[in-house]
Amino acid sequence: MTRELPHPHPPRLAAWLVALFTSAAQAESILGDLHEEFFDIVSKAGIASARRWYWRQSAETIAHLASAGFRVAPWSLAGVVLLGFLLRRFDFQLPEWIIVAILRAQRPYSNLHYGFYVWLVTYGIPIVGVIQTVLIGCIVAAFAKGREIVATTTLSIVSPFAFLLHFLLVGGHWSNSIFIFPWRFLIIQVENLVGLVIGGVLVREFRSVVARRFSRTSP
Amino acid sequence: MVGLRSEESLLTQMHHFFYIVYIMPARDYLGEFEHIVLLTVLRLGDQAYGVTVRREIEARTRREVSIGAIYATLDRLEAKGYVQSRVGGPTAERGGRSKRFFRVTAQGVSAIKHTHRALRSLTEGLALLKTRS
Repeated sequence: MTRELPHPHPPRLAAWLVALFTSAAQAESILGDLHEEFFDIVSKAGIASARRWYWRQSAETIAHLASAGFRVAPWSLAGVVLLGFLLRRFDFQLPEWIIVAILRAQRPYSNLHYGFYVWLVTYGIPIVGVIQTVLIGCIVAAFAKGREIVATTTLSIVSPFAFLLHFLLVGGHWSNSIFIFPWRFLIIQVENLVGLVIGGVLVREFRSVVARRFSRTSP
Repeated sequence: MVGLRSEESLLTQMHHFFYIVYIMPARDYLGEFEHIVLLTVLRLGDQAYGVTVRREIEARTRREVSIGAIYATLDRLEAKGYVQSRVGGPTAERGGRSKRFFRVTAQGVSAIKHTHRALRSLTEGLALLKTRS
Protein backbone atom coordinates (compact mmCIF):
# COMPACT_ATOMS: atom_id res chain seq x y z
CA MET A 1 0.00 0.00 0.00
CA THR A 2 1.49 3.33 -0.99
CA ARG A 3 0.87 6.53 0.89
CA GLU A 4 -0.24 9.41 -1.30
CA LEU A 5 2.01 12.44 -0.96
CA PRO A 6 0.27 15.65 0.14
CA HIS A 7 -0.54 18.00 -2.74
CA PRO A 8 2.02 20.84 -2.63
CA HIS A 9 0.70 24.35 -2.42
CA PRO A 10 2.46 27.74 -2.41
CA PRO A 11 3.05 29.40 1.02
CA ARG A 12 -0.31 30.89 1.93
CA LEU A 13 1.14 33.67 4.07
CA ALA A 14 3.39 34.86 1.25
CA ALA A 15 0.48 34.80 -1.22
CA TRP A 16 -1.70 36.72 1.25
CA LEU A 17 0.99 39.38 1.75
CA VAL A 18 1.40 39.82 -2.02
CA ALA A 19 -2.39 40.15 -2.38
CA LEU A 20 -2.43 42.89 0.27
CA PHE A 21 -0.09 45.08 -1.77
CA THR A 22 -1.89 44.67 -5.09
CA SER A 23 -5.24 45.76 -6.43
CA ALA A 24 -7.81 42.97 -6.88
CA ALA A 25 -7.30 42.87 -10.67
CA GLN A 26 -3.50 42.86 -10.34
CA ALA A 27 -3.56 40.16 -7.64
CA GLU A 28 -5.31 37.73 -10.00
CA SER A 29 -2.53 37.84 -12.61
CA ILE A 30 0.45 38.18 -10.24
CA LEU A 31 -0.63 35.34 -7.94
CA GLY A 32 -1.49 33.22 -10.99
CA ASP A 33 2.03 33.77 -12.38
CA LEU A 34 3.64 32.94 -9.03
CA HIS A 35 1.47 29.80 -8.77
CA GLU A 36 2.39 28.65 -12.28
CA GLU A 37 6.11 29.13 -11.71
CA PHE A 38 5.90 27.50 -8.27
CA PHE A 39 4.60 24.23 -9.75
CA ASP A 40 7.17 24.38 -12.50
CA ILE A 41 9.95 24.59 -9.89
CA VAL A 42 8.30 21.85 -7.76
CA SER A 43 8.49 19.47 -10.74
CA LYS A 44 12.11 20.41 -11.51
CA ALA A 45 13.76 21.03 -8.14
CA GLY A 46 11.38 19.89 -5.40
CA ILE A 47 9.02 21.54 -2.96
CA ALA A 48 11.61 23.04 -0.58
CA SER A 49 13.37 24.94 -3.32
CA ALA A 50 10.02 26.01 -4.83
CA ARG A 51 8.92 27.38 -1.47
CA ARG A 52 12.18 29.31 -1.06
CA TRP A 53 11.77 30.70 -4.54
CA TYR A 54 8.16 31.70 -3.79
CA TRP A 55 9.11 33.56 -0.60
CA ARG A 56 11.97 35.38 -2.31
CA GLN A 57 9.81 36.35 -5.29
CA SER A 58 7.02 37.48 -2.96
CA ALA A 59 9.37 39.72 -0.95
CA GLU A 60 10.82 41.27 -4.13
CA THR A 61 7.35 41.67 -5.62
CA ILE A 62 6.05 43.42 -2.50
CA ALA A 63 9.07 45.77 -2.51
CA HIS A 64 8.49 46.65 -6.17
CA LEU A 65 4.73 47.10 -5.77
CA ALA A 66 5.19 49.24 -2.65
CA SER A 67 7.73 51.50 -4.38
CA ALA A 68 5.45 51.70 -7.44
CA GLY A 69 2.64 52.67 -5.04
CA PHE A 70 4.74 55.66 -3.95
CA ARG A 71 5.77 56.67 -7.47
CA VAL A 72 2.29 56.51 -9.03
CA ALA A 73 0.37 59.64 -7.96
CA PRO A 74 2.61 60.56 -4.99
CA TRP A 75 0.61 63.70 -4.23
CA SER A 76 -2.65 61.83 -3.72
CA LEU A 77 -0.83 59.43 -1.40
CA ALA A 78 0.67 62.38 0.49
CA GLY A 79 -2.82 63.91 0.77
CA VAL A 80 -4.28 60.73 2.20
CA VAL A 81 -1.41 60.41 4.69
CA LEU A 82 -1.91 64.05 5.72
CA LEU A 83 -5.63 63.38 6.23
CA GLY A 84 -4.77 60.46 8.51
CA PHE A 85 -2.25 62.55 10.41
CA LEU A 86 -4.80 65.35 10.97
CA LEU A 87 -7.39 62.82 12.14
CA ARG A 88 -4.85 61.41 14.60
CA ARG A 89 -3.88 64.90 15.71
CA PHE A 90 -7.40 66.16 16.39
CA ASP A 91 -8.75 62.91 17.81
CA PHE A 92 -5.75 62.41 20.07
CA GLN A 93 -7.72 62.95 23.29
CA LEU A 94 -10.95 61.40 22.06
CA PRO A 95 -10.50 58.09 23.97
CA GLU A 96 -10.10 60.02 27.23
CA TRP A 97 -13.18 62.13 26.51
CA ILE A 98 -15.23 59.00 25.70
CA ILE A 99 -14.19 57.20 28.89
CA VAL A 100 -14.80 60.32 31.02
CA ALA A 101 -18.24 60.74 29.39
CA ILE A 102 -19.09 57.08 30.19
CA LEU A 103 -17.92 57.49 33.78
CA ARG A 104 -19.99 60.67 34.22
CA ALA A 105 -23.10 59.12 32.70
CA GLN A 106 -22.95 55.74 34.47
CA ARG A 107 -21.31 56.80 37.74
CA PRO A 108 -20.05 53.23 38.29
CA TYR A 109 -18.00 54.29 41.33
CA SER A 110 -21.17 55.31 43.17
CA ASN A 111 -22.80 51.90 42.91
CA LEU A 112 -21.82 48.28 43.20
CA HIS A 113 -19.91 48.12 39.88
CA TYR A 114 -16.71 49.44 41.36
CA GLY A 115 -14.67 46.66 39.72
CA PHE A 116 -15.99 47.77 36.33
CA TYR A 117 -15.00 51.36 37.14
CA VAL A 118 -11.43 50.31 37.93
CA TRP A 119 -11.28 48.17 34.77
CA LEU A 120 -12.63 51.07 32.66
CA VAL A 121 -10.14 53.55 34.07
CA THR A 122 -7.21 51.13 33.65
CA TYR A 123 -7.92 49.56 30.25
CA GLY A 124 -10.74 51.65 28.75
CA ILE A 125 -8.61 54.45 27.31
CA PRO A 126 -6.04 52.17 25.58
CA ILE A 127 -8.85 49.97 24.18
CA VAL A 128 -10.79 52.95 22.81
CA GLY A 129 -7.47 54.30 21.49
CA VAL A 130 -6.82 51.08 19.52
CA ILE A 131 -10.37 51.07 18.12
CA GLN A 132 -9.99 54.73 17.13
CA THR A 133 -6.64 54.04 15.40
CA VAL A 134 -8.13 51.08 13.49
CA LEU A 135 -11.01 53.32 12.37
CA ILE A 136 -8.58 56.01 11.17
CA GLY A 137 -6.65 53.27 9.33
CA CYS A 138 -9.93 52.24 7.67
CA ILE A 139 -10.69 55.85 6.63
CA VAL A 140 -7.18 56.35 5.19
CA ALA A 141 -7.35 53.00 3.35
CA ALA A 142 -10.81 53.83 1.98
CA PHE A 143 -9.38 56.96 0.33
CA ALA A 144 -6.19 55.21 -0.89
CA LYS A 145 -7.90 52.80 -3.25
CA GLY A 146 -5.54 50.07 -4.45
CA ARG A 147 -2.74 51.34 -2.15
CA GLU A 148 -4.36 50.69 1.22
CA ILE A 149 -1.37 49.05 2.89
CA VAL A 150 1.17 51.47 1.40
CA ALA A 151 -0.86 54.45 2.70
CA THR A 152 -1.49 53.08 6.20
CA THR A 153 2.10 51.85 6.61
CA THR A 154 3.44 55.23 5.48
CA LEU A 155 1.15 57.02 7.93
CA SER A 156 2.19 54.76 10.80
CA ILE A 157 5.88 55.35 10.05
CA VAL A 158 5.56 59.07 9.38
CA SER A 159 3.22 60.03 12.24
CA PRO A 160 5.66 59.75 15.21
CA PHE A 161 8.10 62.07 13.43
CA ALA A 162 5.30 64.37 12.28
CA PHE A 163 3.90 64.54 15.82
CA LEU A 164 7.28 65.46 17.23
CA LEU A 165 7.92 68.03 14.49
CA HIS A 166 4.47 69.52 14.94
CA PHE A 167 4.99 69.80 18.67
CA LEU A 168 8.40 71.42 18.28
CA LEU A 169 7.23 73.93 15.65
CA VAL A 170 3.68 74.75 16.71
CA GLY A 171 3.52 73.57 20.30
CA GLY A 172 0.43 71.92 21.64
CA HIS A 173 -1.55 70.76 24.59
CA TRP A 174 -0.07 67.31 24.84
CA SER A 175 -0.13 65.52 28.10
CA ASN A 176 3.17 66.09 29.93
CA SER A 177 3.24 62.41 30.79
CA ILE A 178 4.44 61.73 27.23
CA PHE A 179 7.68 63.50 28.08
CA ILE A 180 7.85 62.34 31.68
CA PHE A 181 7.20 58.73 30.65
CA PRO A 182 8.69 58.23 27.15
CA TRP A 183 7.49 54.60 27.21
CA ARG A 184 3.92 55.92 26.98
CA PHE A 185 4.81 57.71 23.74
CA LEU A 186 6.42 54.48 22.52
CA ILE A 187 3.32 52.44 23.37
CA ILE A 188 1.12 54.97 21.55
CA GLN A 189 3.34 54.69 18.46
CA VAL A 190 3.29 50.88 18.48
CA GLU A 191 -0.50 51.05 18.89
CA ASN A 192 -0.49 53.49 15.96
CA LEU A 193 1.55 51.19 13.76
CA VAL A 194 -0.52 48.09 14.48
CA GLY A 195 -3.93 49.80 14.53
CA LEU A 196 -3.47 51.75 11.30
CA VAL A 197 -2.14 48.73 9.39
CA ILE A 198 -4.99 46.55 10.73
CA GLY A 199 -7.43 49.20 9.44
CA GLY A 200 -5.72 49.05 6.04
CA VAL A 201 -5.82 45.23 5.99
CA LEU A 202 -9.55 45.22 6.89
CA VAL A 203 -10.45 47.58 4.04
CA ARG A 204 -8.17 45.71 1.59
CA GLU A 205 -9.71 42.35 2.53
CA PHE A 206 -13.24 43.77 2.27
CA ARG A 207 -12.48 45.10 -1.21
CA SER A 208 -10.97 41.74 -2.27
CA VAL A 209 -14.08 39.88 -1.11
CA VAL A 210 -16.36 42.33 -2.96
CA ALA A 211 -14.21 42.05 -6.13
CA ARG A 212 -14.26 38.21 -5.97
CA ARG A 213 -18.05 38.15 -5.53
CA PHE A 214 -18.49 40.62 -8.36
CA SER A 215 -16.25 38.58 -10.70
CA ARG A 216 -18.22 35.40 -9.86
CA THR A 217 -21.62 36.97 -10.51
CA SER A 218 -20.62 38.91 -13.65
CA PRO A 219 -20.93 36.92 -16.91
CA MET B 1 42.11 81.07 -19.50
CA VAL B 2 41.83 77.40 -18.70
CA GLY B 3 39.53 78.20 -15.77
CA LEU B 4 37.32 80.35 -17.98
CA ARG B 5 37.03 77.58 -20.55
CA SER B 6 36.10 75.00 -17.93
CA GLU B 7 33.45 77.38 -16.56
CA GLU B 8 32.10 77.89 -20.06
CA SER B 9 32.00 74.16 -20.63
CA LEU B 10 30.25 73.66 -17.29
CA LEU B 11 27.67 76.29 -18.23
CA THR B 12 27.09 74.59 -21.56
CA GLN B 13 26.71 71.23 -19.80
CA MET B 14 24.26 72.73 -17.33
CA HIS B 15 22.33 74.27 -20.21
CA HIS B 16 22.13 70.87 -21.91
CA PHE B 17 21.13 69.21 -18.65
CA PHE B 18 18.19 71.59 -18.11
CA TYR B 19 17.21 71.24 -21.77
CA ILE B 20 17.22 67.44 -21.49
CA VAL B 21 15.16 67.55 -18.28
CA TYR B 22 12.75 69.98 -19.96
CA ILE B 23 12.20 67.84 -23.06
CA MET B 24 12.25 64.44 -21.36
CA PRO B 25 8.53 64.22 -20.50
CA ALA B 26 7.56 65.36 -23.99
CA ARG B 27 9.64 62.71 -25.82
CA ASP B 28 9.14 58.96 -26.03
CA TYR B 29 12.44 57.92 -24.44
CA LEU B 30 12.37 54.72 -22.44
CA GLY B 31 14.17 53.77 -19.25
CA GLU B 32 16.54 50.79 -19.48
CA PHE B 33 14.20 48.24 -17.93
CA GLU B 34 11.18 49.68 -19.75
CA HIS B 35 13.10 49.22 -22.98
CA ILE B 36 13.93 45.58 -22.14
CA VAL B 37 10.34 44.77 -21.14
CA LEU B 38 8.85 46.44 -24.22
CA LEU B 39 11.22 44.56 -26.57
CA THR B 40 10.43 41.29 -24.80
CA VAL B 41 6.67 41.82 -25.14
CA LEU B 42 7.24 42.60 -28.82
CA ARG B 43 9.27 39.39 -29.29
CA LEU B 44 6.70 37.20 -27.54
CA GLY B 45 3.75 38.45 -29.58
CA ASP B 46 0.46 36.83 -28.49
CA GLN B 47 2.14 34.84 -25.72
CA ALA B 48 3.35 37.79 -23.62
CA TYR B 49 2.23 37.48 -20.00
CA GLY B 50 4.07 37.73 -16.66
CA VAL B 51 5.70 34.27 -16.66
CA THR B 52 6.83 34.25 -20.31
CA VAL B 53 8.10 37.85 -20.11
CA ARG B 54 10.12 37.04 -16.98
CA ARG B 55 11.61 33.85 -18.47
CA GLU B 56 12.46 35.54 -21.77
CA ILE B 57 14.24 38.41 -20.01
CA GLU B 58 16.19 36.00 -17.80
CA ALA B 59 17.15 33.81 -20.76
CA ARG B 60 18.26 36.68 -23.00
CA THR B 61 19.83 39.10 -20.53
CA ARG B 62 21.00 36.57 -17.88
CA ARG B 63 19.53 38.91 -15.30
CA GLU B 64 17.21 37.72 -12.53
CA VAL B 65 14.01 39.73 -12.37
CA SER B 66 10.97 39.51 -10.12
CA ILE B 67 7.35 39.25 -11.19
CA GLY B 68 6.70 42.47 -9.24
CA ALA B 69 9.32 44.41 -11.22
CA ILE B 70 7.77 43.24 -14.48
CA TYR B 71 4.23 44.15 -13.46
CA ALA B 72 5.27 47.53 -12.03
CA THR B 73 6.99 48.31 -15.35
CA LEU B 74 4.15 46.96 -17.49
CA ASP B 75 1.61 49.01 -15.51
CA ARG B 76 3.72 52.11 -16.05
CA LEU B 77 4.02 51.35 -19.77
CA GLU B 78 0.27 50.78 -19.98
CA ALA B 79 -0.37 54.14 -18.29
CA LYS B 80 1.88 55.78 -20.92
CA GLY B 81 -0.09 54.00 -23.68
CA TYR B 82 2.87 51.86 -24.86
CA VAL B 83 1.22 48.51 -24.11
CA GLN B 84 -2.33 47.22 -23.86
CA SER B 85 -3.49 44.29 -21.75
CA ARG B 86 -6.33 41.81 -21.91
CA VAL B 87 -7.36 39.15 -19.41
CA GLY B 88 -7.42 35.52 -20.60
CA GLY B 89 -9.44 32.64 -19.17
CA PRO B 90 -8.58 31.01 -15.81
CA THR B 91 -6.52 27.81 -15.93
CA ALA B 92 -6.03 24.97 -13.43
CA GLU B 93 -2.20 25.19 -13.53
CA ARG B 94 -2.52 28.75 -12.21
CA GLY B 95 -4.82 27.79 -9.32
CA GLY B 96 -7.90 28.90 -11.26
CA ARG B 97 -6.49 32.35 -11.91
CA SER B 98 -6.43 34.05 -15.28
CA LYS B 99 -3.46 35.35 -17.30
CA ARG B 100 -3.02 38.98 -18.28
CA PHE B 101 -1.68 39.17 -21.83
CA PHE B 102 0.16 42.25 -23.08
CA ARG B 103 0.79 43.64 -26.54
CA VAL B 104 2.80 46.62 -27.72
CA THR B 105 0.82 49.51 -29.22
CA ALA B 106 1.85 51.69 -32.18
CA GLN B 107 2.89 54.36 -29.67
CA GLY B 108 5.08 51.76 -27.94
CA VAL B 109 6.76 50.81 -31.23
CA SER B 110 7.40 54.49 -31.90
CA ALA B 111 8.95 54.85 -28.42
CA ILE B 112 11.28 51.90 -29.13
CA LYS B 113 12.34 53.52 -32.42
CA HIS B 114 13.01 56.88 -30.72
CA THR B 115 15.14 55.21 -28.06
CA HIS B 116 17.06 53.15 -30.61
CA ARG B 117 17.75 56.24 -32.71
CA ALA B 118 19.05 58.07 -29.64
CA LEU B 119 21.24 55.11 -28.61
CA ARG B 120 22.60 54.70 -32.14
CA SER B 121 23.45 58.38 -32.29
CA LEU B 122 25.22 58.17 -28.92
CA THR B 123 27.26 55.08 -29.84
CA GLU B 124 28.18 56.21 -33.35
CA GLY B 125 31.92 56.53 -33.86
CA LEU B 126 32.89 55.29 -30.42
CA ALA B 127 36.27 53.61 -30.82
CA LEU B 128 35.77 51.44 -27.74
CA LEU B 129 32.69 49.76 -29.20
CA LYS B 130 34.33 49.34 -32.60
CA THR B 131 37.33 47.47 -31.22
CA ARG B 132 35.13 45.22 -29.06
CA SER B 133 32.85 44.28 -31.95
